[in-house]
Amino acid sequence: MSVEQIRLSAGRFRRKVEWRNARESVAALVVVLFFAFEFMRTNDLLARVGFSLIIAGMCYMVRELYSRGSWRRLPKDAGLSSCIEFQRRELERQRDLVSSVWRWYLGPMIPGLAVLIVAFARINPGHLKHFELVIAVYALAIAAAFVGIAKLNERAARRLQRRIDQLNELSSQG
Amino acid sequence: MPEKERKPDELFEKAAVEYGPALERLAHAYEADPEIRRDLLQEIHIALWRSFAGFDGRCSLRTWVYRVAHNVAASHVGRQSRSRRLTLVGLDDLANLPDRAAGEESAGRRHALDRLMEMIQQLEPLDRQVMLAYLEEMDAASTAEITGLSARNVATKIHRIKAVFARRFQEGGRNEQ
Repeated sequence: MSVEQIRLSAGRFRRKVEWRNARESVAALVVVLFFAFEFMRTNDLLARVGFSLIIAGMCYMVRELYSRGSWRRLPKDAGLSSCIEFQRRELERQRDLVSSVWRWYLGPMIPGLAVLIVAFARINPGHLKHFELVIAVYALAIAAAFVGIAKLNERAARRLQRRIDQLNELSSQG
Repeated sequence: MPEKERKPDELFEKAAVEYGPALERLAHAYEADPEIRRDLLQEIHIALWRSFAGFDGRCSLRTWVYRVAHNVAASHVGRQSRSRRLTLVGLDDLANLPDRAAGEESAGRRHALDRLMEMIQQLEPLDRQVMLAYLEEMDAASTAEITGLSARNVATKIHRIKAVFARRFQEGGRNEQ
């Protein structure tokens, strides 16, 4: 490959990666559009605040995912890092990402969901029996799902840590 | 001219000429799908081209090229194993895996090189890096410089990988008879 070919393909490759990243955002975009639609439909101020907070939380989550977790350019000093060092850094980055899901993934969604639950509880249409109970069950189900996600990520973080420990052990053997 | 005094573009051209075929073999060992492999090879070339801005001659050109290439390829494997749910295995697990080729008598014998490549593609990145360096006829010291393992560890790993591969070849051969 000549330098000219590389320059051309670098541009094409960057566009390809941008497109790949954009496709990965589609799921988040669908959710944001859904909540934006619901925001427009409701007249309740508290519900609107809830929808806005959820949209803000989703945007923050996607931003964090791209800046910390997704494809990123290889560092320019990749040639200075041995394969073990490089892999350890990558694994540490992934471990930090999955072990902090409360901060960047679950946490940002909590204010919006909490406000929405309160808003729905206030809007009780009156004709529904046990409405408060239904709301409480919804809230518990969401809380259980969040705890489940956090547990799965904790497990993944432990698995990554074991691989990091193995690499540390290998690199410390002279 | 010493390598560290060359311009990044010159270094890249030199590396592309000297190590182009080796990089193709490396990409082949990391990615079985021909189309994705082309992308991976391109990604390796781009990363190399960009990396030479930081090349200061602290290591040889060969070590630099292989480190960058393996690091790009290992990232690729990490991404692919998450998105395509590929399972990489340690040597102990590989030794106990059923040989897929063994059950395909009617499909005819598979070329030994294809089977070797398939086994390499199942290895975890570090084992794969060691084995590829061995197949490129690098000595243990050079492999150690690229991977970060000690030369003794490299020799041990090569010995173990060769033993596992030999056993699997034998098992495959017996089942095909």
